[in-house]
Amino acid sequence: MAGPNPGSRRGRFAPYALISPGLLWLLLFFLVPLASLARMSLSTKQSRFDFDPSFTWDWGNYADVFQKYGVQLGRSFLFAAAATVLCLLIGYPMAYWVAFRAGRWRNVLIGMVVVPFFTSFLLRTVSWTVVLADDGLVLRVLRSAGVVGVLRSIGLTDGDRLLDTPLAVIGGLTYNFLPFMVLPIYVSLEKIDTRLVDAANDLYATGSAAFRRVVLPLSLPGVFAGSLLTFIPASGDFVNAFFLGGTRSRMIGNVVQDRFLVQLDYPGAAAISLVLMAIITSAVLLYAKLLGTEELA
Amino acid sequence: MARTAPLWTRRRFLRNSAALLGGVGVMPGLLTACGGDDSASPAARSSADGSGSTTLTVDSWPIYIDDDPAEGTVARFEAATGISLTWNETINDNNEYFAKIQPVLSDGKTIGADIISPTYWLVPRLVQLGWLEPLPIDAIPNRANLLPSLKNPSWDPGGEYSLPWQTGITGIAYNRKVTGKVIGSMADFFAPALSGKVGVLTEMRDTIGLLMLADGQDPASATFERAESAFARLQEAKESGHIRRFTGQDYLDDLVAGNFAACVAWSGDVAQLALDNPDIGFAIPEEGGMRFADCMVIPKGAANIDNAARFMDFVYNPANAARITAAVQYISPVQGVDEALRQLGGEAAALADSTVLFPDAATTSRLHVFGSLSEEDEARFDEAFSAIASV
Repeated sequence: MAGPNPGSRRGRFAPYALISPGLLWLLLFFLVPLASLARMSLSTKQSRFDFDPSFTWDWGNYADVFQKYGVQLGRSFLFAAAATVLCLLIGYPMAYWVAFRAGRWRNVLIGMVVVPFFTSFLLRTVSWTVVLADDGLVLRVLRSAGVVGVLRSIGLTDGDRLLDTPLAVIGGLTYNFLPFMVLPIYVSLEKIDTRLVDAANDLYATGSAAFRRVVLPLSLPGVFAGSLLTFIPASGDFVNAFFLGGTRSRMIGNVVQDRFLVQLDYPGAAAISLVLMAIITSAVLLYAKLLGTEELA
Repeated sequence: MARTAPLWTRRRFLRNSAALLGGVGVMPGLLTACGGDDSASPAARSSADGSGSTTLTVDSWPIYIDDDPAEGTVARFEAATGISLTWNETINDNNEYFAKIQPVLSDGKTIGADIISPTYWLVPRLVQLGWLEPLPIDAIPNRANLLPSLKNPSWDPGGEYSLPWQTGITGIAYNRKVTGKVIGSMADFFAPALSGKVGVLTEMRDTIGLLMLADGQDPASATFERAESAFARLQEAKESGHIRRFTGQDYLDDLVAGNFAACVAWSGDVAQLALDNPDIGFAIPEEGGMRFADCMVIPKGAANIDNAARFMDFVYNPANAARITAAVQYISPVQGVDEALRQLGGEAAALADSTVLFPDAATTSRLHVFGSLSEEDEARFDEAFSAIASV
C-alpha cells in the first residue's frame, strides 16, 4: 500500500511516529506486566510470607494448575460457552428486530439495552440473589410448573433451588454479558443494505433463504465480535460464581482470587492466569479460523 | 433514639465485596515493592521523631467505633488530649490487609499507621515476623481494666504486644421459619433435614473450630492431625451438597431470605438482626462455641507510639469503652463497661443486661479460642481449608 509521499524521509517515519504512543502504551501496560507475570509464574516462594518469590524455572506451578484446578478450569469454559450460546440465541433476534423492524424506535430500543449498565455491575449481580431466593417468586412458579425437577435431573441445579447452582451462574453470566453480544451484532446488521435482501427476494429466495444467504453472512463479523466480547470476560469472571454459585460451581476466577488474595500464592495465581490466557487465545484463533472473518481476525 | 443499631456492622460491610475491591488494595502493595513507603500518611511522616508529636493514625474495620463527629470517641479523644486522630476504616479482611502491609513491612519501611486492628490469630504471625513494637505498658495504666480472662491470651502470652479492641462469639445462627425449631448443636446443624440449607464461614478458624469442637477436639490445642476429622467432615458436607455456600458476612442476607436454615455466624451481628426479625436466633452449640478478638497492635516503625499508648489508655477507661460498646454491640474486653452503660442511661443502659454483650460464667466456660498454630501447621490448615472452601 502506498503511503502519502512514500519517497520522503518524513513520509516514511510518520506512521511510526503516529503509532508510537499506542506502542509505548502496549509495551508499558501489556508486555512488561505480561513478562513479569510469566517470570512470577516460574518462581518459588522461599518461605510462606515471602513477598518476592525468586525465579527458579519452577514448572511445578503449571502442573498444579491442571492437577488441582482442572475441574474449575473446565467448568469456567463450559459456563462461558453456555453463556455465550445463550447470549447469541437471545441477542441475535433482539438485534435483528431492532435493526430491521423497530423503525424510528431503533435508537431508543438499543439505548434500552445499555441502560441497565448505568447501575453497578456488582449491584445488578447481587440483585439476582433476591430474585432467585428460595422463597422468591421465580422459584415458586418454576417449582409448581415442575421445571425444577427437570433441571435437577440434568445436573443444572442442586436440590430444590436455583440460587447457588450452576444454572444461576450461567444465567448471571448471560444476563451480565448480553449487551456485549447485542451491540456488535446490531452494528453489523444495521450496516446491511436492505436492497440486498430485496435483490434476494427478486431472485426468488424465500425469506429464510435470504436470511441464510445474505443477512447471516453479512452479520458474522458482529457475531464473531460479540462472541469474543462475551466468552473471554465470562471465562475469567468470578463475580457471578461468587454471588450466584454454590460450593460446586466455582470458576477459575474464584481460584485466582483465592490464590492471590487469601493464600498469597503469587506464583500459583500467575500460572493460572497465563494458562487461562493461553487457552483463550488458542480458542479465539481457532474460532477465527472456523468463522473465517478476515475483517476481524 | 440516640442511634440506630448499625445493622451493617463492620464484618458485614464489605466481606463479600472486599473480595472484589481487595484486588485494588493489593495492587498498590505489589507496586510498592519498588516504590517505597507510599502508604505512609503525611501526618505520620511529619512527626517522625515521635517526641511531642500531636498526631495519631489508626487502621481499623468499617463501622467499628462510635463515629459521631461531635460526641464520638475520636472527637472526645482529640478534645481530651489535643492529639489529632486519623481513623482509617481500611481493614476489610485479615488476609487482604496482611497482603497489603506485607511488602512495606518486610522491606523495613513503615506503613504510616500507629495502631492497626488485626484479628487475634494474625497477632502471633506479626510478632514472629518482627513487625510489631511491644506495647509501652507503663504508659497504659487503664490496661488494668482488661478482663482477667483476656490478660494472658494464647495469641499473645502476657499481652506484651496486643490489647483487644472488641471480642465476640462464633456460633450458629438459624431461621426458625425455615427450621421450625431451635438449632442448638452441631449435630442438629449436620442433620439431613438441613441439607443444602446451611452455610459456613470462610474464616478458617471459626468454621474448623466449631467442627473440631463437634468432634470433641479442643481448638485451643489445635494441630493438623487433631483437625483431620474436622476437615474430612467439612469436605464430606461440601461434596454431599449439605453445605450450600461458604460465606463472609453476607450470611446475614441468606439467613433472612430463608436460603439458609442455619449457618455459622458471629454473635454481635445476629443479636442486632434478631431485633428486627424474631425468627432469627443465635446459639452457642452444645459442643462448644468459639471466641474471637480483634486486637490493637503497634506496627514496627510507628512514629507516634506515645500517642498510641494514650489512645489505648483512653479506650480502656470503662466510661469511654461503654460508648463504643453501645454503638458496635460486640463484647467489650474492658471491665466495668456494664456499670458505665447504666450510667449512660437510655438505650445504652438496657444493653448492660444483655447476655450477648456480657456472657455469664457458664457461657464463657463453653467458649474456646483457637490456639496459635506453628507456621508450618498454619500453612497446612490454610491450604487444606482453601482446597475445600475456595475451590
